[in-house]
Amino acid sequence: MSVPHPPSTRANPRTAPSLELPLMYAVSVGFALVLSAWLVAVTGHAWSSVGQALLDGSVLAPGRWGNTLTVSTPILIVALGMVVGVKAGFFNIGQEGQLLMGALAMALVGTKLTGSGPVLLITGLSLGLISGGLYAGIPALMRFRRGVPEVISSLLLVFVAFQVIGYAITTDWFLRDPDPNRPSLAVTSAALPDSIRLPVINLWGNQFGVGFILALLLAGLVALVMGRTMFGFKLRLLGASSPVAQQAGVSIARTGTVALFLSGAAAGLAGAIMLASGASGARLTAGFSNEIGWQGLLVALLARNRPLLCVPMALLFAALRTGGGFLAAAGVDRTVVDVVQALLVLALLVPPAVQYLQDRRRGPAWSDTGETP
Amino acid sequence: MTDHLRSLPPLLEADGLTKYYGPVAACEEVNLALQSGEIHGILGENGAGKSTLMRMIFGLVEPDRGVLRMEGEVVGVTDPPTAVRMGIGMVHQHYSLVDALTVWENIALGESGTLDPDRTRARIRRISWSYGLSVDPDATVRDLSAGIRQRVEILKCLGRRPRIILLDEPTSALTPAESKFLFNVLLTGVRTQGWAVALVSHNLDEILRATDRITVMRHGRVVEQFLTAQARVPALAEAMVGRPVPLRTVTASFEEDEAARRLLETDHLDQELADPPPVPEEPSPPVLEIKNARSTTPDGRKQLDNLSLTVGEGEIVGVAGVEGNGQTALADLLAGLLRLEDGKVLVEGRTAPSGVAGAMTGAGIAVIPADRHRVGVVLGMSVAENLMLGDLPGMRNRGFLRREAIRQYALSLIDEYGIQTPGPDTDLGDLSGGNQQRTVIARALSSSPRVLVAHQPSRGLDVGAIEYVGDKIRAAAQNGIAILLLSTDLREILSLSDRVLVLHRGRVVGEMTKEEFDLERLGLLMGGTEDRRQDDR
Amino acid sequence: MNDLPGALADIFTSPAMYGSAVRLGVFLAFAALGELVAEKSGTINISVEGSLLAGALGGALAFDSTGSLVLGLAGGAVAGTLVSMVSANMSHRLTADQFVVGITLNVLVLGLVGFLDATFRPLGGKAEVVSLPLLSDIPVVGEALFAQTWPTYLLYALIPLTWWLLYRTRWGLEVRSVGENPQAADVSGIDVNHRRRQAIYYGGILAGLGGAFLVLGQVGSFDTGAVGGRGFIAIAAVYFGGWTLRGTLAGALLFGMVDAFRLAVPVLGYEVNAQLLAALPYLLTLVVLYFVTKRFVQPAGLALPFIRGGF
Repeated sequence: MSVPHPPSTRANPRTAPSLELPLMYAVSVGFALVLSAWLVAVTGHAWSSVGQALLDGSVLAPGRWGNTLTVSTPILIVALGMVVGVKAGFFNIGQEGQLLMGALAMALVGTKLTGSGPVLLITGLSLGLISGGLYAGIPALMRFRRGVPEVISSLLLVFVAFQVIGYAITTDWFLRDPDPNRPSLAVTSAALPDSIRLPVINLWGNQFGVGFILALLLAGLVALVMGRTMFGFKLRLLGASSPVAQQAGVSIARTGTVALFLSGAAAGLAGAIMLASGASGARLTAGFSNEIGWQGLLVALLARNRPLLCVPMALLFAALRTGGGFLAAAGVDRTVVDVVQALLVLALLVPPAVQYLQDRRRGPAWSDTGETP
Repeated sequence: MTDHLRSLPPLLEADGLTKYYGPVAACEEVNLALQSGEIHGILGENGAGKSTLMRMIFGLVEPDRGVLRMEGEVVGVTDPPTAVRMGIGMVHQHYSLVDALTVWENIALGESGTLDPDRTRARIRRISWSYGLSVDPDATVRDLSAGIRQRVEILKCLGRRPRIILLDEPTSALTPAESKFLFNVLLTGVRTQGWAVALVSHNLDEILRATDRITVMRHGRVVEQFLTAQARVPALAEAMVGRPVPLRTVTASFEEDEAARRLLETDHLDQELADPPPVPEEPSPPVLEIKNARSTTPDGRKQLDNLSLTVGEGEIVGVAGVEGNGQTALADLLAGLLRLEDGKVLVEGRTAPSGVAGAMTGAGIAVIPADRHRVGVVLGMSVAENLMLGDLPGMRNRGFLRREAIRQYALSLIDEYGIQTPGPDTDLGDLSGGNQQRTVIARALSSSPRVLVAHQPSRGLDVGAIEYVGDKIRAAAQNGIAILLLSTDLREILSLSDRVLVLHRGRVVGEMTKEEFDLERLGLLMGGTEDRRQDDR
Repeated sequence: MNDLPGALADIFTSPAMYGSAVRLGVFLAFAALGELVAEKSGTINISVEGSLLAGALGGALAFDSTGSLVLGLAGGAVAGTLVSMVSANMSHRLTADQFVVGITLNVLVLGLVGFLDATFRPLGGKAEVVSLPLLSDIPVVGEALFAQTWPTYLLYALIPLTWWLLYRTRWGLEVRSVGENPQAADVSGIDVNHRRRQAIYYGGILAGLGGAFLVLGQVGSFDTGAVGGRGFIAIAAVYFGGWTLRGTLAGALLFGMVDAFRLAVPVLGYEVNAQLLAALPYLLTLVVLYFVTKRFVQPAGLALPFIRGGF
């Protein structure tokens, strides 16, 4: 039938080729870097030496890039979980705690059970994954039963998790290492037996855990599942419009719980992998999570929830961390890395937001009446 | 009364106002002169640019080009407070009252100076007295009916002593009596205070009834101007649509004109509604049955109050009622979004659990929602994904999406329903409203439903698309689908339905068959007046 | 712990416990009051945690360099405001997601504070206790409420001020309206995003003061872990209070009480697992949220960005 009306389709401003966006990224990242350099300068250090230290620590010095890959592994896995949650419309930001729960499960399996190394390893990883997921199930329960925003509940649970770990490593029957000859004076759990370790890959003088390969595969898997499967489609549908999803048979509570479980499970797995790769001497310690959870979360946000884009972002964050380890030599406190990182994150948030606003000004998406914008 | 004023400079004059949204001109070179003592109707289809024009005059939208003059002087209206200072008031179509606040707070909102509750209350009492618009200043807006809200809206506008009043579709949520009352207030103000009023509407009858002069807009341009006394329906309709329109379509296309209809006792469109003569329907067993449905909003208001209805095979049941009387709850219920506190929904005798994801769809109920952006389509997903939504057999293989099958399926629906899109992978948000609606209809009908719920299916569509929607609904009924048509547009209801139910405060308060259609009784029922005939029994 | 009721009675009758509950509650109330205003305007301002921490550091640094408590508090307010300015402008000028912005800012502030702490080693100091005559003699509550360090009384002044601002001024009316129905406020002529930014600034000032209070009015020294997630408890206090001023204060006081209980237990010689005690405020907040959230209707525009014409 004929339609008497004007163009029913129009050039899509969002896909219109434009130099503006890359330019904006360059400017805002540049601004963040200048700000960081200035900060270093006002505290009396040379920013060039800081830059050199970061580069040495993350890539150039012998064995460092392998280290960077190892560090990037849990960050990437946490980020991938976050992606699944956010795509489904849920904002679990308690990864720091879920990661600890995963590590706790791994530590329990490793120190309490006996059996062959590989079996325990796989049991530990699986249980780590499950306990991270279950820990994220608490916000899910609170959200879907009582309407408590998962943003707040998942955050509060992080602080509970810290205490759980604290309890575990200070309690004899639980995880405390009773050995008076342990290497560090700090209270820790007993070390995971050497048989329960993820294999290490040796490449050109660098070593990294096989976990990194696993994380890469996981990134591909998440991309595949979200983009190409019915399950992924349902998750995306839920995130894009919960009423439409509900109508189409996607239960908000059930699918939402699955999404939150998966996001927590990824963090749990990351924690288990960290422990099984020998982080903190393969011992559960008070500061074990070391902000890996937060970083994974930020990586996901920066990658704008694209699983494959999480890989370079996680590498960048890991590089800043490992590079930060070399800062002490330059006489700068390593916390400057956190500042640089957060400034970078803020900087990377700006261009897409500006772009979005410009699109809105240029033309609203066709609204209901076509005229009331 | 208009002619002697024509020599004076107009109270407000828009000169060449132009606003582009991207490549689309919402308004282009629009000239409009509002004279003191006149009600100026601005007529046009949805999307013609009427609201954009009003929003530019009121300072809500910044024009790309063009100027405003007041009494011949160029003025710059940069924001609503400036507009108010210059004596421009606006009564908005939606969104202008805050539910959680009281009446006086809402009226004080957007004014300047110290907040003084007592003086605001006193002022409200004074104005409401002088216009006969009584309202309690301390009532919370949430608790007020649509008619009283509109009153507050008008008081808010009048409280700022405007000389120029812009009304954007003011009667869409009013009962006939309330609309009549509104026009009386306006007429009094125009006569005694010399107001210049711009009345925006897509409702031909209302415009003909209430105005002195008419400007018709189409595709963002002023296409014609009329003196109301000399205007004729066919000419107005043609100016609106841009081509000669068969009168049947005209009658089907103008929404929510029960108000004006009641004002227009001698209605030249009346006969058009009566035919074609109804095909007598055999009573058929109900396909859809709702029994004693009850639900309450989180803040404790009744949405559905012991509502029961049935729809038979191939039957079109229209549900008439003023906006906000439970239509959305009813549509949500049948979309599986609302859980009933009591009562049940049966499809062909089998209970479909309420509020369970996919249960209604699974039972064979398809919904064309009123607010498609809330419940109908997913902007940001492709046309193909929108056409698929849900787990269709044949679309997946061991959990993986069969992308080629989905594409082919989408292409066939795009073709069958005439969806104009560059391709199945285009973002649905980039389609026009009419084509988004076609996507919704295509998905609803392609699922071979037993029941089709159409809630305001032609809202926001142009005449051609409305015709199309009507045809599709009739065709669906021919195929035996039970159809529940929820609409505030009496014309749409009367032209399509076999039977009409009237919804008021979440209850069915009256019912009439096609043979019993009685506009006056409908109007009374919609306003909540008890059904006299039920009393007689 | 053989005699649990006796022990609890002992703890809950200790005047020290109530004094400490008020101090801890006051700290939370600063942040919660500000957060209430921000949420009334439609923002869940996660960066309140960052504002608190920045306020604590700003307060300590300003006090160190000037020796003035007033300037110390002012420094805290400035630092808190700076954080909230970034948050407000990212969320309500650029319309970036407010949670994303909040989380990022918290990480930024944590890093920045760690860095500045390592660089400047701030000390901080403590204001004197001022007993208000007559008021502090009121039995039971008098001493707890009115024999505190003087910055405490600043909060007592801020409570009516915030109430007055929210419910008696045009600004407050506009703030409430943009949180409830931004579209309506917009067509009524209110710059929605501007009001939202201002509400967040107000939240930043109060959180900054709260942070400075923590250092200068309560603890007496600065520590990077001092805030430790209690900004999130302040947010929970707003939920607990059902977005009312009274309820929010009650929430802050309740959570302060739990904190005080946690501290009082070991002091009074009872042995309870330290980690359980430390987790108690968070656990209790979670439990309270679970039971309380559904009872209230939140501002209708909460956590939704406003773009004219958008939905």
